[in-house]
Amino acid sequence: MLKVEGLKKRFGGVVALKGVDFHLPRKSILGVIGMNGSGKTTMLNCINGIYLPDSGSIRLDGQEIGGLPVHVVARRGIGRTFQVPRVFSHLSLLDNLDVAQGQMGRSASERYEAASYWLRKVELFPLRHNFAEELSGGQQKLLELARIMVAKPKVILLDEPFAGVNPGLAQLLIAIIAELPREHDCSVVLVSHDLTSIYQLSHHVIVLNEGALLCEGDADTVRNDPAVIEAYLGT
Amino acid sequence: MSGLLLQGIVNGLIMGVIYGLIGAGLNIVFGVLRVVNFAHGEFVILGAYFAWFLLQALGIQPFLAMPLTFAVFFGASYLLYFALIPPLNKADDPEISSLLLMFGVSISLGALMLLVFDADARSLAIDIEPVFLTFGDVVVPTVRLLALAVALVIVALLAFFLYRTHTGKALRAIIMNRDAVRIVGIKVEQLSAVAFGLGIGLAGVTGILTALVFPSFSPFVGADYTLIGFVVIVLGGLGHPIGAMLGAMLFAVTEQVASIYFNPSIATICGFVLMVATIFIRPTGLLGRQALR
Repeated sequence: MLKVEGLKKRFGGVVALKGVDFHLPRKSILGVIGMNGSGKTTMLNCINGIYLPDSGSIRLDGQEIGGLPVHVVARRGIGRTFQVPRVFSHLSLLDNLDVAQGQMGRSASERYEAASYWLRKVELFPLRHNFAEELSGGQQKLLELARIMVAKPKVILLDEPFAGVNPGLAQLLIAIIAELPREHDCSVVLVSHDLTSIYQLSHHVIVLNEGALLCEGDADTVRNDPAVIEAYLGT
Repeated sequence: MSGLLLQGIVNGLIMGVIYGLIGAGLNIVFGVLRVVNFAHGEFVILGAYFAWFLLQALGIQPFLAMPLTFAVFFGASYLLYFALIPPLNKADDPEISSLLLMFGVSISLGALMLLVFDADARSLAIDIEPVFLTFGDVVVPTVRLLALAVALVIVALLAFFLYRTHTGKALRAIIMNRDAVRIVGIKVEQLSAVAFGLGIGLAGVTGILTALVFPSFSPFVGADYTLIGFVVIVLGGLGHPIGAMLGAMLFAVTEQVASIYFNPSIATICGFVLMVATIFIRPTGLLGRQALR
């Protein structure tokens, strides 16, 4: 599904990514952990086209997408959320999801149906006519997730989805993310500092440290890796 | 309420809708592209000249010329966008470069109109009977009422486009968050070209309305309309197309009512004092963030 090889990115004298490799199979969740500045968000920005990689390959279903413009990457099937949600503050929830379906050739009723489905899924349907700015930060993260899912992406990149979200909404987010691969044929790259959620959700975990891959494997392997314990927990 | 005051308010409301259209066009371009279109007033005047040409050469009446004017101005400026705006992104400071660029376009358009149409003032004279309509103490030229009706239809169409169509919603979404629009797969450059076309298309149509309600137009008055556009968008809120309407109403009513009691220079000053006061008291415009909705 998504294959990243030798991904490098430099900002002036700072090397943010030193050649990252990973493979995200279809219908799977990849957890990405690492300390602040380890290159997690830079990696997502390279994948979805915000940054132009210096070198390396990013392939989606065998097709190279590295270096393509953001909107083209999105149309190829890569969705993205951000640490601070980027919703359309002064559009209604329904319109937020409507705008995201413009390139799909759906009729107005099909767009409404899809938007309604995802707003129900994230439990925001009763607020569908409210403006997005009226939502709490956690609700805006749910809306952002619904906005990318309504376009039926193949892969979604979730950047710190649980940060600043109250425990109730976080549980809802976890439940939705967990069912995405199985019910919606969507693979997930999940970047988070919330290790419990990462271990609970991920089929495979990679650990980044100073822009390089420190360790990878299933949750147990990563949890017990001495290098991870030393670098990540500092003990 | 005295008849004179009522006359001033009615005149102000008519002018306000037309000023609002000038501001709305300017605001759409600024909101979506972050480009201050200093040439907006020249495009307004060019619209008036285009209708004048259609009337003289082909006998097409100004009101009937509006759809054609919009289509021609939209199409031409949609293409012009790709020649003018994307190269600005390569500049060290795209915003300053865009100011200088549009200032240059403004001067060039003014000079071109001077070359083609000469410096003589022109007018769009149409025969309508009766020339005036009387409502109690208020006397209104019939052509102004027709212009008001057409302007209101244009405002309604613009509101429908921005709030009910997918492209309109996407344009508003760009004003709110340009990056997020790309994330959902929308090609911002293409929509920006639509916004540029829409803004200048509106300028062209509004030019016909201004030529109908004012006695004459010439290549030299474009800057006046650009200035009016800036005033109304500052009052209504920068970057918010419909917010400009409220600002325009307030500006025009203030100007028109003041012109009844004082000499025209003081009336103009009153309008601009209102703008300066708004900047100090409510820098986000009269509606503030509400105007974004």
